[in-house]
Amino acid sequence: MQKAFFSALVFSGFFFISCSNDSGENPIELQVDPPATYTFARNGSTTVDFSGQTTRLLMGGELEQALKDPSQTVASLQAKYAHQAGVANFNDADLNASDKNLKTKTAASAEFFSSNSAAQADIRADFDSWLEAQATEVFRNWNTAAAPGIAGQIADGSSTRYVSGSGLEYDQLVIKGLMGAVMTDQALNNYLSPLVLDEGDNVSNNDSGVTEDGKNYTTMEHKWDEAYGYVFGLNADPANPNNDLGADSFLNKYVGRVESDPDFSGIADQIYQAFKLGRAAIVAGNYEVRDEQAALIRGKISDIIGIRAVYYLIQAKLVLEQPQPAYGTVFHDLSEAYGFIYSLQFTRKPGSQEPYFSRAEVQSLLTDLVDDGSNGLWDVQPQTLQDLADSIAERFDFTVSAAGS
Amino acid sequence: MTPVQMKRILLSFGVLLTLWACSPDSGGGGPEPPNPVSFDRGEMLVNWADNIILPSYANFNARLGTMNSAYTTFKSDPSEVNLQTLRDAWFDAYLGWQSVAMFEIGPAETAGYRLEMNTYPTDVITLEQYLSSGSYDLSLPANRDVKGFSALDYLINGLASADAQIVSRYQGTEQQALFDYIDAVIADMQSLTTQVIQGWENGFRDAFVANDGASATASTDRMVNDFIYYFERHLRAGKMGIPLGVFTGTKAPQTLEAYYRTSAGKELFLAAMGAFRDFFNGKHFGSSATGKSLASYLRDLNTLKNGAALDVIINDQITLATQQVSALDDFRTEIENNDPPTTMLLAYDEVQRIVPLLKVDMVSAMSISIDYVDADGD
Repeated sequence: MQKAFFSALVFSGFFFISCSNDSGENPIELQVDPPATYTFARNGSTTVDFSGQTTRLLMGGELEQALKDPSQTVASLQAKYAHQAGVANFNDADLNASDKNLKTKTAASAEFFSSNSAAQADIRADFDSWLEAQATEVFRNWNTAAAPGIAGQIADGSSTRYVSGSGLEYDQLVIKGLMGAVMTDQALNNYLSPLVLDEGDNVSNNDSGVTEDGKNYTTMEHKWDEAYGYVFGLNADPANPNNDLGADSFLNKYVGRVESDPDFSGIADQIYQAFKLGRAAIVAGNYEVRDEQAALIRGKISDIIGIRAVYYLIQAKLVLEQPQPAYGTVFHDLSEAYGFIYSLQFTRKPGSQEPYFSRAEVQSLLTDLVDDGSNGLWDVQPQTLQDLADSIAERFDFTVSAAGS
Repeated sequence: MTPVQMKRILLSFGVLLTLWACSPDSGGGGPEPPNPVSFDRGEMLVNWADNIILPSYANFNARLGTMNSAYTTFKSDPSEVNLQTLRDAWFDAYLGWQSVAMFEIGPAETAGYRLEMNTYPTDVITLEQYLSSGSYDLSLPANRDVKGFSALDYLINGLASADAQIVSRYQGTEQQALFDYIDAVIADMQSLTTQVIQGWENGFRDAFVANDGASATASTDRMVNDFIYYFERHLRAGKMGIPLGVFTGTKAPQTLEAYYRTSAGKELFLAAMGAFRDFFNGKHFGSSATGKSLASYLRDLNTLKNGAALDVIINDQITLATQQVSALDDFRTEIENNDPPTTMLLAYDEVQRIVPLLKVDMVSAMSISIDYVDADGD
């Protein structure tokens, strides 16, 4: 069903769509010809640029490593998150020199947060508090065995996980949370939004090929590429990125994970084709096709978040139901789930101005996850996990059984 | 099939299994076995527990004791001769370990026994840090790779290239630190082993034997899952596939079991394969007698594959794999001196061919679902 819908959208791209913005008798035919790969040029030079996204993905990668290094401090972790140009927060000198950071792009989309600064501040505070807790609770107990109410380490198969007293891995909350609050929110609710794509003179400049000062791209082209960069910005061949999905620990990795579930195979190519067709539509000045592709990408990326939230809940439930549950495995799965559920507030329901779950709804789900007893995930019951998975899947077009395996 | 697809299928089984396990038993219900036969799973469980598992543990524990005695001698006189005696005792215990490593059920599962005793390769950098600092807690999960058999391998085989140099470390300023560390490693291994044996003797043996039904939580179903998981992940992948680079495309001889004793990897593999085959055939530990087993279960079910008896096919494939591995040079030499290590890869393929016979054909005949999931996620 979804596949058929998608094919129709792609197919529509090949139609000659008449446009009414001409003054003459004959409609200008704005044919959209998507190229074979995400490659676009003007006067023989590429017009594609998403270096700012690549930079932030790399900063996220260094932050992820730092969260596993007990020699880091509250200050050093928070400084990586809110990097200032010229400060040596990272191993990579280029990142140190950059004036970009993750914090200013957290909960910062035009559509969701331009007039929602209170929620924005709350969300940034969530990240700062997780970073702080990683240092003050988890790093402090790095060489302690975890127990109910006591932070420390616990085995998950041959891996070792480092959890809070309630069984949560703060590093998972941070990284999976950033996937929602930065990558997803920026791509879906900012750069794919007409508010941003069509801002100011963007449409007329794009129609007449007026590029930005000193650049080879129009502003609208660049905005679209910035959305693309948050999904594919670290792939070895960004023009044809699906050969090495997993190039970052954020959306790219989980597009790959969902792609490898036979229930959803094809989704990576659907996302890629939609980006490519939408970008070609911008080149052709066909904004109808562009917005159709944006809607499709919003739906698919949102699906990725929802599917993985349900997946980890059900995986944890299966372990929890075994005669001798491996709590380290349960905690790891549920820490992943926590981050994905958190990210649901940054998803985008196609055809609406809303996420699949509001911030208040997300907070309610997360409270349910950790309030079965006084020690958080140490007390969680299988039925709670099933109920959460059911509630999430209900709003999407996938089933719990498709996502959970 | 990619590992991911494989995992997906395993997980799907897991879901089915869970649904099944959760259905109420009130009607005395549960699915009927498709091949109702007279095979008595309870008799098989008794044979496993009393004639294979408990004697194997007892034998292993005795070998650990002998190793500890050899260590005590070495400690009082760290000579090259006593080092050699310690190595022999360590290797003998390591061979004995191969007869118990597959029983990760009950008290062993609770203790995480297999990974606590034998996570390899050992983390030499951390181990050396612990030796210099003298500060370590071997009970922590993150320290599983600096204790057990692989840590001892490094400490008695890998500290230096020549025996004289190894012994000189035990005679020099680090002597106390080294002895303290080995004391802690051996005490940990003995304590874990005692805990597992006592768990079996004080209740688990009876519970294991009594749980003789056919359901996801029944002893047979769980043991078969553990047995196949062990074969796939530890015997096949751990001892051969990972060092060969089968999963990554990059060979990694330093990940071999007992890496610092060049000849050991192959010998330990063959010991493990022998124990695995004996368990499949219900052969009593230390005796040629046999009892009820997975093989006899298949015979009672009259399970055929392409017209031949499945238990015979499985035994033949184990024989073929064992012959191919036996014909190899030691694993470290095979991997380090051949690029690609084709002969060993061919032997690995024969080992791999056992997996579907167990994981598809055998479990299907017995109506057992594979329920394990890969714990190492992301």
